[in-house]
Amino acid sequence: MIYIIDHKDSFTHNVVHQFENFDNVCCDNFNEINESKLDKANVIIFSPGPGSPKDYPYSSKIYKKFKGKKKIIGICLGFQQILYCEKGKIVQQNKIYHGYQSKVKVVSTSKLFKKNQKFTVGRYHSLKLQEPFAAKNFEITMRCDISNIAMAIENNKEKIYGFQFHPESFLTENGNLLIKKILSA
Amino acid sequence: MTKNYLKEIARSKKPFIIYKSEKGFNLYTNFSKKIILTNKNIQNFINNVSKNKLKKKNTDLFIGFFGYEILNNLIGVKLKKQKDINFPKGIFYKPEKIIELPNKLIYIPEKSIKFSKNFKINLNQISYSNIFNKFKKKIKSGETYQIKICTKYKNASKIDALDFFCRLTKSNIAPEAFMIKDKNYSIISCSPENLITKKGDLITTKPIAGTLKKSKKLNKIKALEFFKRNIKETKEHNMIVDMERSDLSRICRAGSVKILKKKTVEEYKDLYHYVSLIGGKLKRKVSSLDILKAMMPGGSVIGCPKISTLNLLNAQEKEGRNIYTGSFGYINFNGDMRFNIIIRSILNYQNYSEISVASGVVIDSNAKHEFNENYIKAKALMDLYR
Repeated sequence: MIYIIDHKDSFTHNVVHQFENFDNVCCDNFNEINESKLDKANVIIFSPGPGSPKDYPYSSKIYKKFKGKKKIIGICLGFQQILYCEKGKIVQQNKIYHGYQSKVKVVSTSKLFKKNQKFTVGRYHSLKLQEPFAAKNFEITMRCDISNIAMAIENNKEKIYGFQFHPESFLTENGNLLIKKILSA
Repeated sequence: MTKNYLKEIARSKKPFIIYKSEKGFNLYTNFSKKIILTNKNIQNFINNVSKNKLKKKNTDLFIGFFGYEILNNLIGVKLKKQKDINFPKGIFYKPEKIIELPNKLIYIPEKSIKFSKNFKINLNQISYSNIFNKFKKKIKSGETYQIKICTKYKNASKIDALDFFCRLTKSNIAPEAFMIKDKNYSIISCSPENLITKKGDLITTKPIAGTLKKSKKLNKIKALEFFKRNIKETKEHNMIVDMERSDLSRICRAGSVKILKKKTVEEYKDLYHYVSLIGGKLKRKVSSLDILKAMMPGGSVIGCPKISTLNLLNAQEKEGRNIYTGSFGYINFNGDMRFNIIIRSILNYQNYSEISVASGVVIDSNAKHEFNENYIKAKALMDLYR
């Protein structure tokens, strides 16, 4: 079972709909977590959402509790939530991407995707990861083709994955393929 | 027959409702029940309408509207005390008679009413810009991605609602146009936007995001080119499409939510709109209440993400929106329903008319442009006051 933590976003149910293609999904608001379902889940997903990771201390707590024990996936804010918990700095960017379609490129560190492969993706983010960023077992595996901003992370050892873009958006081509790869990783 | 009927109903002083149908209009009257909604009775009301699961007669339905505030409350968003005209939060009627009317509505008022042409705006351009800049900061910090600021135009005058509606539909047949005439209030709307069409287990929504003022140089094809080339309009529209997909995904079966018409242009009297159609197949155990809670208030007139944006809006707006960005439509006894988003509307209550309009703030919008866009939207209605 996949447990999705909803940060009260208006895109979360696209994520639910997408993951339902692969497994049973349970989705609750970040402030109404069902602990026993969370315990039973084998994958935890941190949803997109408004604001910044520091606004969701309980999601950070869940991340730290289950890191290394369950597969964890973060999307947009959820991606930032993971990085924030790994001591990454999440900052405002000059150019803001809301409803924006752009190309991301796989970099050499990825174990799941082919180097230099490009994906067309939908983006909705005001904030980004400030670099340099380094955390044990974490690699930045996709970057914006133009701005070079970090767009995906992999931690294949502890099975933690994240996308700054939205694989569930209609603006993303092959979104299901991306999800399938990380779910079977 | 129509001509006489409209004259007759106006003379009878009976409350009535007119709503755009596929062929023309439907007129609903001889109301046997009138339910004024409150936070206490709304859930029961919605649950009970479609409890029988059968629609035997074409009058087996409730028709009416939900105001903006009650729709917020329904999804757990609270509003602080606002300046209020004490207009009901929602009213539904049970009609005993429905009459089909053609597209051409003819009605000549028996006596002409003189009305004031002067409208007062509740936000001047300077205060609009201030709010606008505040919201831009919220976009930069990621609390909202798109937010709609509402402005109101107000005017003190009595109106003949039926006359207004007939004149409005003469120049502008909007697919979700409706009017309500009751003893103490009337609503006239040329809403173009359908929020819910539910038949059996199929549901669709048709959000509008993107407006272009008509000019002699433009046609439908050129308008489409404009929208496609314009990155700001495209991004705004994308956001709304993803949000509506998400709202539908709450209540629809896995994998069934699809974009049926992607980014098309519709033509209206003064403007072009950028429109998409999204649909899905409802899950088995979804109730009418689940559907309304997932879809309302309609996202395209609020902004995105819905909850955080509603909270930002409600903290800012000093006057109640009343019917504006609420929803009008009907629920059949078998659970089928049709609801629009109440925009492009006049609320006439206690001899005051109010016309509310809104346009969106995204990261690259311009305050002056949006302020003027609001005026364009209101103008088609203010033109009726002459």
